[in-house]
Amino acid sequence: MKYNSPKAGILLISPAVLLICSLLVYPVIYGIWLSLFKKHSFFPDQRFVGLANYAYLMKNSDFWMSVWYGTVYSVSTIVLQIVIGVIAALIVNEAFKGRNFVRGVILFPYVIPTVVAIILWKWLLNNQFGLVNYLLLAVGIIDDPISWMGKDHIMTSLILISVWEFFPFVVLSVLARMQTIPPVLYKAAKVDGAGAFRRFIHVTLPQLRSVLFVVILLRSIWMFTKFDTVWLLTQGGGAEKYIRTLPVYAYMRTFMYYQAGMGAALAVIMFIILVAATAIYFKMFRREEEI
Amino acid sequence: MTPKNNFFSLRGQFIYWCAAILALSTAFPFFWMVSTSFKPLQEIFVFPPNFLPAEFTLANFVRLFEQTRFLVYFKNSVFVSFTTVVLTMTIGSAGAYSLTRFKFYGREKIASLILFTYMFAPIMIVIPFYVLIKKIGLANTHAALIMAYTAFCLPFSLWLLRAFFQSIPLALEKAALIDGASRLEAVIYVVLPLALPGIIATGIFTFILAWNDYIFVRILITSDELKTLSVGIADLYNATVIDWGMIMSGSMLITVPVLVFFIFIQRYLIAGWGAGAMKG
Repeated sequence: MKYNSPKAGILLISPAVLLICSLLVYPVIYGIWLSLFKKHSFFPDQRFVGLANYAYLMKNSDFWMSVWYGTVYSVSTIVLQIVIGVIAALIVNEAFKGRNFVRGVILFPYVIPTVVAIILWKWLLNNQFGLVNYLLLAVGIIDDPISWMGKDHIMTSLILISVWEFFPFVVLSVLARMQTIPPVLYKAAKVDGAGAFRRFIHVTLPQLRSVLFVVILLRSIWMFTKFDTVWLLTQGGGAEKYIRTLPVYAYMRTFMYYQAGMGAALAVIMFIILVAATAIYFKMFRREEEI
Repeated sequence: MTPKNNFFSLRGQFIYWCAAILALSTAFPFFWMVSTSFKPLQEIFVFPPNFLPAEFTLANFVRLFEQTRFLVYFKNSVFVSFTTVVLTMTIGSAGAYSLTRFKFYGREKIASLILFTYMFAPIMIVIPFYVLIKKIGLANTHAALIMAYTAFCLPFSLWLLRAFFQSIPLALEKAALIDGASRLEAVIYVVLPLALPGIIATGIFTFILAWNDYIFVRILITSDELKTLSVGIADLYNATVIDWGMIMSGSMLITVPVLVFFIFIQRYLIAGWGAGAMKG
């Protein structure tokens, strides 16, 4: 066999391509097809209804609520994650005793199963026996225990838990880039008389631009389509309705109302919103040298 | 090496305090989980709470093993995750080797297809995936789970392994061939040993993804005896009376393997991160 024989190359890559096409790409295309049908999730019969699922959703207030909750959830968690993530990266980029330990520990929330993260926080935020309420009462910040899983606070709780769970991703991505900023840039800025804050604005931030571009893109895609964190928090609280984001709504339509076609239509809508948002994002912020 | 910040300077003070707050806010919930799981039931609900168990007990773990199918879930999780790792690593290494060593029509197209599919989120495919799996009669089997995880992990595995294979000089392989080795021997004795650390790191990323998954198990598995840990533990919470001690001990036991593996791959974290090995 020739060293670079194309046949062998194609043979070696084909299992991967075949699996990706049949198990990832095909389901997405099939989902578009499925969204044109009225189909029960468990039984095989289906009826072609054209765009009726979409038309129904456009007039459905639950759908628009879920778009709204989804937007509130993703925008606020993304902003907080980025801000906290960059600040945390700046800190662990400094030299101090125990730095490696801190760097390792702050990644924990991102690595553990989401189920564990949610259970931990449900216990910490438990309104009767939770430690958070206890501490807040003990310090005197609040006079009555807060019902964190109640309808008034559940969105706040969800946002806080999500930021806690996902900010480490920002830290690690940004830190990796920070370590490659040439120290000479800071020296030059210092010589020019720039203080710490101005050095951050004029040296660090421009250098982080490209990594932040990618991190914000990825985090937005993942937060907008986040299912498990939101869904698990809705379990057993009674305030489920107040954090019913688009992915949760798609799941409910499919597996609680048994409307697979409607669920698929919701997934397609999610996909369209993402593609549109990504296109706008690229138009507004992308520079030639990036990606 | 930059000099360490002096703890006694103003700037040093500030940094140490911030670092302490960061470490505390990320690590404390874990400490609380461990502490709760060793407390006897009455002590879990005392007010004000004890930070460390006043009375140390293993009763929560005993209940977990006796009253739930924790061991069954554990076995299922291990089986599904390891099968996924083996499959993904075999298919992924072959693919990555092909992408770095061969030239053929469509190679670049395949690379960008892989990058594109890496953006897919589970919720976007899980509904049609479920309908399709049901059609071919694989709903409620571990095979369905393994298929889903392998498909999901392949894009980033290929991407990551490609980077590792690229870093192995072609000259080494050529030298082996000149010395009379066959292509296969050159791969087995020269390329794979050099790529092994990268393959192991990629494997661990795959393992963590499969081990932590909730949505696919929730949707594809209906029988209790086929569930994996994440759904098994989540369902403990849905009982009428929530046994916090038991739930905390279970949570601790699922977290341990992940953290152990995670500490192993710290060195590769940056590379893995760049390739998007940690989705979520």
